[in-house]
Amino acid sequence: MDFQHDILPLKDIIFRTALRITMNREESEDIVQDILLKLWQQRDELETVSNLEAFALTSARNLAIDRISKHEQKNISLIEETHDREDVWQMSAHDCMERDERQSNIASAIATLPEKQRTVLQLRDIEGKAYKEIAEIIGITESDVKVNLFRARGFLKEKLNFLKRDK
Amino acid sequence: MDYKYIEQLIERYFACETTLQEEQILRSFFSQGNVPSNLSEYADLFRYESSESNIHLGEEFDARMMELVERKSGMKNKVVSIRGKFTPLFKAAAIVAIVLTIGNAAEQSIGNRPSEGFDDVTAINPYIKKDNISAAIKVKDNTQAETKTVVKSDSLLIENND
Repeated sequence: MDFQHDILPLKDIIFRTALRITMNREESEDIVQDILLKLWQQRDELETVSNLEAFALTSARNLAIDRISKHEQKNISLIEETHDREDVWQMSAHDCMERDERQSNIASAIATLPEKQRTVLQLRDIEGKAYKEIAEIIGITESDVKVNLFRARGFLKEKLNFLKRDK
Repeated sequence: MDYKYIEQLIERYFACETTLQEEQILRSFFSQGNVPSNLSEYADLFRYESSESNIHLGEEFDARMMELVERKSGMKNKVVSIRGKFTPLFKAAAIVAIVLTIGNAAEQSIGNRPSEGFDDVTAINPYIKKDNISAAIKVKDNTQAETKTVVKSDSLLIENND
């Protein structure tokens, strides 16, 4: 297995998936670095893995969730309160300064979704993955993937209709 | 222009009934400039989906990763080369250790053989004076001579009785 040809090309999809979960660029870059190094160090054992990308995304998702929960614990101990959905909305909107306002609204709406719905939406609508592969990456059934996607898209539809009325 | 097909696709998209190809058709449709006003609210969503797939990590990240991997691989190779370099030395040391152990064991087994005569006494305690040793030998010889005399006198007595 060659790092430059087999492992490094996975960086962008790992980064985008991690970014959707952490909503933090620096943290996501750090996750990509950790995952790529881990893959390289375990390259001998990974020769038998049929879908390296799915394996890498599963690892990246687990690591991203782990980092989020650690940050949340830190926040609880510091300010003794959790971020509610509105806080996440504001944070994400701030992170999307370079996009136009309407695109930012979409990004912000996605950011308020539960992590599983967010990741399913990312893997299907942005990465263009099949239901079967998404199920493999997240470790749920294909019907659960569809349920999560249906809820996520439904929520976005409501937001879009709300934004249209608001114009 | 009839947008019925697109409207149907949108409906099926939100019902999660579209295929990957159909979803790609929607993204392509909304990425072009002319979007009817009744579908404009969906344009933002599909344009956003298209733009998000273009997020990439730059060459700077690649260079940093390559450097990290080379450093890690270099460290691994270094460990192997040091081990390889010292292998003959370890082998030589092991052979020397085996020879010394066998030699020592052989020496000990020879040294523990049962003692004979007074030579071993001098070997064990070299400070015993040679005069004392010769005196001891004389005592031993005298004792043996006396025994012989007694035996002789006994045989004389027997002879006398006859």
